[in-house]
Amino acid sequence: MDARSILGMQAAAPAGTQASGAGNAPAPGGSLCIEARDLWFTYDGRAYVLKGVTLGVRRGAMTMVLGRSGSGKTTLLKTLKGLTRPQRGTVTVLADDRLDDRRAPAHAVAYLPQGLGLVRSLSALDNALTGALSRVGTLRSLARSFPKATLEEAKETIARLGLAHKLYEPVYRLSGGERQRVAIARALMQKPSVILADEFVSQLDPITADEILEMMRAVSREGISLLITTHETHVVARFGDRIVVMRDGGVIHDGPSGSLSEDGMVAILR
Amino acid sequence: MILRTLLFRGICLGVAALAGFSLYRIGLLDASRVGPALSNLAEFTSSLFPPNDDVLPTLLDAMLETVQIAFVGTLLGFLISLPLAFLCARTLFGLAVTAPARLTVGAIRTVPSILWGVLFVVAYGLGPEAGALAISFYTVGYLGKLYYEAFEAVDPEVMEAVRGTGGNRLQLIAYAVLPESANALISNLLFMFEYNIRASTIMGFVGAGGIGFYMLGYLQLLQYQNLMTALLLTFVVVMAVDYLSARLRGLVLPSQQPTRRAPVLAAVTSLWR
Repeated sequence: MDARSILGMQAAAPAGTQASGAGNAPAPGGSLCIEARDLWFTYDGRAYVLKGVTLGVRRGAMTMVLGRSGSGKTTLLKTLKGLTRPQRGTVTVLADDRLDDRRAPAHAVAYLPQGLGLVRSLSALDNALTGALSRVGTLRSLARSFPKATLEEAKETIARLGLAHKLYEPVYRLSGGERQRVAIARALMQKPSVILADEFVSQLDPITADEILEMMRAVSREGISLLITTHETHVVARFGDRIVVMRDGGVIHDGPSGSLSEDGMVAILR
Repeated sequence: MILRTLLFRGICLGVAALAGFSLYRIGLLDASRVGPALSNLAEFTSSLFPPNDDVLPTLLDAMLETVQIAFVGTLLGFLISLPLAFLCARTLFGLAVTAPARLTVGAIRTVPSILWGVLFVVAYGLGPEAGALAISFYTVGYLGKLYYEAFEAVDPEVMEAVRGTGGNRLQLIAYAVLPESANALISNLLFMFEYNIRASTIMGFVGAGGIGFYMLGYLQLLQYQNLMTALLLTFVVVMAVDYLSARLRGLVLPSQQPTRRAPVLAAVTSLWR
């Protein structure tokens, strides 16, 4: 396994700020697929949103990041994906031996934003195919002429997620749960080693949210790591293989499933 | 709160004072000129009637040319403004690219259509070619701006999601920017065509083809009844184009609601597939 860094900035410690809480070293045990060390990030140069976050995402595990609004969860995900560049610290994506992967390491990290980022006027199939853009030549993709194997793969992925009958349906006609599935299909088409999902079941009814999370659990059993942010303690208690709690830009708890009860989560968040 | 009220009253007073000064400066407050003006207007209006239908065949041909100038000019302008608008979008390119591109679009927009007409008449000589080129440049100035604003308004999460899949800039344009802004592109294109029909009428005044050439001639020769025929014909065509454009817009863009703005794109992509 070789380490390939997608972000490798090192800078002087920001003045007047301190790393908070636990998590000064990645959690031991189990191979990691993505590792963040001492991440510091500020949008305005004054208030730090991330304060020395150190975190390891284990291969094939469902890691739930719990935190209140404004605790830095979304910024952490964007930084892990490489969409924002930390003022200090490193993010390392570790190559997956199972994949014959010649792509840039960042492409092995799929990102599901809170609003899903689906193109509403495109069909479910076209949205799923956008996940394969890095694997298809530019001209072929511009001509919407994807290789037959890729096209079949996209159809099968959508079918596996229970949307075979909505392949050509534009996203704006799909329900919230169906859109969630299309977003997962797009992420899977990226052939990721890790999927970063930001609060992505928060707006669903409890039953649909459970269905989607069960689906995500099945995905993690296939060896794809998941890092899901949420503010819902019952979701963390039920689905998290690993629980990370964030407060004020720092990690205050990082432990295995069962290391915190729901009441304990509420207490630690206060 | 009191400060805001005072500020609001101050602004109202300032606008009223500016309006009064401007009216005075341009002579609209001179009551002695109102009477003769109304009398002249009444005389001119009476000389427009009855319209002379003898010139209708000639004018129909010229009107067709005007519509063609507008159509070709809008099409050429669209083809030029689309790539230029991509270069202007700050969500797609850095300042080194967007600044000169925006400067270009801004400079083109500064020149009125009639001046573009004069310029191309000088370059190409009298005729509809000059009119079509003038309209196309005028279109670039406006569509370029409207389009890059539409591109920049695309939901940042959609951009992040497609960029995050590893798609390059061209793929980002094809899979996020164009589909998400398709409604604005089509709606503005139809509006520009309607507008260009009117603008093309004026092109004839500088010899750049179309019905405007005849309008100017009738004015200079005091053939006001012929002029009235030309005006009525223009009115009918403009109304017809407005109606057809509205129908077309209703067909492809049933609603401006974001969740319902996809049928045109769905139709296009299904043809493409």
